[in-house]
Amino acid sequence: MHDKQTLHQAGHPARGRPVRNDVRERRTAKGLAQAELARELAVSRQTINSIETGRYTPSLPLAIAIARFFGTAVEEIFHADHD
Amino acid sequence: MQITTKSSRVYWVTPAVGVACGLIYLIAFSLGGHPGYGLIALGVMVAFSAGIALVGRRSETVRGLLDHRDERLAGIDLRATAVTAVIMILAVLAGFVIEVARGHDGAPFALIGAVGGVAYLGAVGYFRVRG
Repeated sequence: MHDKQTLHQAGHPARGRPVRNDVRERRTAKGLAQAELARELAVSRQTINSIETGRYTPSLPLAIAIARFFGTAVEEIFHADHD
Repeated sequence: MQITTKSSRVYWVTPAVGVACGLIYLIAFSLGGHPGYGLIALGVMVAFSAGIALVGRRSETVRGLLDHRDERLAGIDLRATAVTAVIMILAVLAGFVIEVARGHDGAPFALIGAVGGVAYLGAVGYFRVRG
């Protein structure tokens, strides 16, 4: 019960609140199309678009793969600062 | 798009199951004395399987639903399956209630509902252990 309250108070993404991210900015800075990034990460172009628009929060493995692709840490790309 | 060997194998599972179902229908209809209906059912299933395999070559969504490479599409598939299950459960419950109200014993809806209930409990137990 205590853990649930903590997650809720922290605005955990599992509560349905999308995590803001900088994927689009980093992708365009590299001059990549969504389809190219999708191919590199072995996901669909639709999924890249959904992540960039905040409609889909990726799993931890995919978030790590995205961070590694851009040569940075997950928390540098994904931001859970909802407030 | 790069397709791994494993994904390629997974891609063909649904069409293969469709054709296998068609063959089972053919055998069942033949045993029941209606091989013609069996051939029609086989033809429908082969056409369905070929259709989704071909559409999957052009549609990113269908391809993702077939090969399960994409986690978002796999999640959509899971949720769509859950919604389908809920609707099926409601249909089974409605069928059971109607059959009981007509003075029957609720068959076959009672049995289907029992299978569903046991399957759900088994799945919860399995995934609870698997984490």
